[in-house]
Amino acid sequence: MEKFDVIRSYAPRLDAPDKATGKAIFTDDISRPGMLYGAMLQSPHAHAKIISIDTSKAERLEGVKAVITSKEAGTIKYGVSPARYDETVFATDKVRYVGDEIAAVAATTLEIALKAVDLIQVEYKVLPAVLTIEDAMKEGAPQLHEEFAGNLCAEVHQEFGNVEEGFKKCDIIKTTTMKSKRQDAAFIEMQACLAEIDRRGTLTLTTSSQVPHYVQRTVAMVLGMDVGKIRVMKPYVGGGFGIKAAANHQELVCCILARMLNKPVKMNFTREQVFKYARARHQFTHVITTGAKKDGTLVALKHECYLDGGAYTSFGIATVYYSGALLSGPYKLPNMSYDGYRVYNNKPACGAQRGHGAVIARAAFEQQMDMIAEEIGMDPMELRIKNMMNAGDTTCNDLNMSSFGMSECIEAVREGSDWDKKKGTLPKGKGIGMACGFFVSGAGFPIYRSDTFHCTVICKLTEDGGAALVYTASAEIGQGSDTAFAMIVAEAIGIPLENVRLASGDTDMGVDLGAYSSRQTLMTGHAAKEAGEHVRQQVLEVLATQLNTPVEELDIKKGFIEFKNKTPDFSALRTRYIKEHRGWTDNPDSEKLTFKEASRIAFLEKGSIVGTGKYRPHWLGGKFKGAAVGTSPAYGCSAQVAEVTVDIETGQITIDNITDAHDCGKAINMNSVEGQMQGSISMGIGEALHEEVIFNDKGEVLNNDLAEYKIVTSMDMPPVKAIVIESDEPNGPFGAKEVGEGAIMPTIPAILNAVYDAIGVRISELPLTPERVYNAIQAYKEKKSA
Amino acid sequence: MIFTIFCVRHYEYDVGIDIFLSTYRFLYDSAMDYQIISINQKGENFMLLPKFEFYEPTSIQQAIELKKKYQGKAKLLAGGTDLLVHLKKKLITTDHIISLSKIKDLSQIKEERDFIEIGACVTMSQLSKSKVIQEKFSALKEGGDNLGNHLIRNRATIGGNVCGASPAADTLPALLVYQTQVLLQGPDGRRKVAIESFFKGPGKTIIKDDEILTGFELPIPQKNCGAHYIQLGKRKSSEINVVNVASFIEINPGNKTIKNCRIALGAVAATPIRSFFAEDALKNKTADETAFYEAGEVARRKDCKPIDDFRGTAEYRRAMIGVLTKRTLETAYKQAMAQ
Repeated sequence: MEKFDVIRSYAPRLDAPDKATGKAIFTDDISRPGMLYGAMLQSPHAHAKIISIDTSKAERLEGVKAVITSKEAGTIKYGVSPARYDETVFATDKVRYVGDEIAAVAATTLEIALKAVDLIQVEYKVLPAVLTIEDAMKEGAPQLHEEFAGNLCAEVHQEFGNVEEGFKKCDIIKTTTMKSKRQDAAFIEMQACLAEIDRRGTLTLTTSSQVPHYVQRTVAMVLGMDVGKIRVMKPYVGGGFGIKAAANHQELVCCILARMLNKPVKMNFTREQVFKYARARHQFTHVITTGAKKDGTLVALKHECYLDGGAYTSFGIATVYYSGALLSGPYKLPNMSYDGYRVYNNKPACGAQRGHGAVIARAAFEQQMDMIAEEIGMDPMELRIKNMMNAGDTTCNDLNMSSFGMSECIEAVREGSDWDKKKGTLPKGKGIGMACGFFVSGAGFPIYRSDTFHCTVICKLTEDGGAALVYTASAEIGQGSDTAFAMIVAEAIGIPLENVRLASGDTDMGVDLGAYSSRQTLMTGHAAKEAGEHVRQQVLEVLATQLNTPVEELDIKKGFIEFKNKTPDFSALRTRYIKEHRGWTDNPDSEKLTFKEASRIAFLEKGSIVGTGKYRPHWLGGKFKGAAVGTSPAYGCSAQVAEVTVDIETGQITIDNITDAHDCGKAINMNSVEGQMQGSISMGIGEALHEEVIFNDKGEVLNNDLAEYKIVTSMDMPPVKAIVIESDEPNGPFGAKEVGEGAIMPTIPAILNAVYDAIGVRISELPLTPERVYNAIQAYKEKKSA
Repeated sequence: MIFTIFCVRHYEYDVGIDIFLSTYRFLYDSAMDYQIISINQKGENFMLLPKFEFYEPTSIQQAIELKKKYQGKAKLLAGGTDLLVHLKKKLITTDHIISLSKIKDLSQIKEERDFIEIGACVTMSQLSKSKVIQEKFSALKEGGDNLGNHLIRNRATIGGNVCGASPAADTLPALLVYQTQVLLQGPDGRRKVAIESFFKGPGKTIIKDDEILTGFELPIPQKNCGAHYIQLGKRKSSEINVVNVASFIEINPGNKTIKNCRIALGAVAATPIRSFFAEDALKNKTADETAFYEAGEVARRKDCKPIDDFRGTAEYRRAMIGVLTKRTLETAYKQAMAQ
């Protein structure tokens, strides 16, 4: 095996000291002289016509600098995917959900801005609202968007192989329905932004975002500005999970106000506004039919899915495709059909959240795997291994598994959880369950059609020779990408991690599509590696000339120059270096020539040493409609075993422990890999057991804070045994691939399968609140005694 | 400034969360038929505290004078875990806030021969660490330990929990079964009120406009007594109870019959209530599993009057009252026998 000096270690995070001591700067920490505060007026109605807007009172309030509506902001449509731009900055003719933006104010203080918002008078004609998929699809239901009849935002119909024929060959056919609930990602930093414009007309937006690049493009489009005149930066970001993977209204409003007033403007979401803006995981209803032979061979899958979309599309087109596309693996499945429907209604829009579109489909399907295993009397792990794809296989919808440690993951959790001893032997009320899952390691295509590189990285050596500076437009949002790229560059050059400094999250630094679809480690990692190798090559070439040694005989390792054969006499170079540094304290006296000396000499010969790197995946996927969704240069995969205790009398579930194995290719930073595995499990447990955004009959969110929206607390978190499985991904930098989203895939079904093992009844609706579990147990008891 | 490391989402949850994330307890309308009022439905912005006059009296007498001056329009600030959240959300408004933090007398737990006195400003963390509470009032400790999370418990006070008068409040069932006397002080002097008659409805108490709740008097349980508290929620911390129950039991050590018993139920009526039918059903019975189960059944059928809301249905609440009553009695009994 190739030996690495920096990657595959437990490296301390670069951002840890600042974050642990409270010194890390987030958007809201930043202020500017003369800065104004913005605030938005949002609709109190789920569906209403706007008859008139009177801003005069608000404008007269002392301290108010501007009040804007769609008149000032314009009516350019935008959204996430160009196929479906259905939003404007402000509602024009009508509002479509409680929270739809109507107007905004900029004022000298936040208090005044908020007061002014209350003074804006809007006359509404309230329209009947539809709040559920069922109501929205009824004949004669109120329509949200004229151009989308029947409130159907998007539909997908796909068939691969022949499902009908496939079922004819099956001995067992299972059909189940599964329903989840709308989620909130509950990141700790609410969306915030600060826009400012300089005297030469360059607009700078500092924002809590996962995707400075896409925000830059959307701001340019909506404000009618040159992309080159807009700079988007993100400081430290307190989580995103998909919700911050597109421009939001607040960012656009903030930019419009700053440009109009020629003053810096800051805006913040409250937690309540985070819930109003939403854009997190959809509510899914899946109807899945799986057919298998007596020996366990999977033959066909028929899949129907309804997505509760909310008032606008957001990521929805991609979501409805993802929900279908990612069931084609990890098992060999020759026949698969998918019918997906995303339905508009008068609630906030849903979008992308960790495990985009695929989490609940996976939860439904992995339960069917267990049902089939039970019926044919096969161990659930055996059934899965029997059907498992191998590295190099391609799914029926053209997704290629270039590396695939899925079976190894199963073996690891089998051993790690003591599965063979526990399965089938636990007392009543205790259960053990497992599931598998996989996810893309970066979307194969940008959101907009383009030949653009997905990322570029610049690496520059400091002129003293001491450090490598890395510039990337990628987004560190808490997941550890800055540390990963610094490690990759250090490895690529051959220097210690502490000699790398990194700056990121700024569109001036290059192109990077950002932190979504678990893309950065693989994609930006490639570009970082290439940039590092580029500077390394330049230094070695100078050195080769200076020492009159063939460049192939030179290497850099751990900050020293290595010579394959005899070490040439480098005393002249060292003397030159030391002369340059007369009076300095760090003159080299090592036996080996240091990288610092070599790098300084390279500067003296060539000027600044700058390396560049870039990455764009090769063309991926098939030719059918929607073939792009689900494609990726690589797929991360994982298996989990959950052990639970169910209180039969109250329905309360305790997760006793989770054993998790994830194939992330070659791990870059073990700390971050394990952190992502634990974080995914935490999010999965929340979704499985108690997270649910609840609306009243007016379309208002009832639990719009973190007291009533119940994320997992540290007290709910079970012990997690995280096992890192390292395959060698041919398409990944140093063989690396994703861990950020794939790790959430098995969590929910593993818990569901364990709960079934504990109580003998399957529950088809999430979350598994004590009351829902209690009712299921009661219903089961009644059925049994009847 | 945010102090948490974000490599995982909520894993280091307890580190950086601020008090506003967590505890505001039940929000009930003051109307007869109580409904959840949610949570700013006017489309207003509400992240800033409104302006108010702030007072920091150093004696109870001064505080009473201030309260009298503003005739019930001033709000008392103890831990602030409810008040500040409600002010931000504009669920309540006030122009005057009287902080109790400078009145030292209110933050003490005093142990007398037959009773203890808990000051109104004693925090949940203080309760939890107090030796006498640990040894003699374990059900109250359980209640306090389940309120919110560490950060909330460092601020939230027992007086605040009681004056909040939420039907689901964590310390109330235990205070009820320990036969607590509420100590009130006004311009005309002090009075003691049995806690059963202190609550009038969600958020409503008998406390007068010019009175201050200064503390609680709890008789020290005799030998052969035990008590326990259990709450039920969706998660294990920072939770608002779906239901909660406390039971107190006194045993005749000779024949193991139940000499005395008190049961209190939370979140199944407009105030926390005593489960009198269940208590009657247990009197003089032999303490065993059947008796406890029966008591649970009586509590479920006869004593509780729950409603549906988004935390749980009435039917589930009823069922859980049965289970929790039985379980608290079992543990209380074990404690009583261990003495």
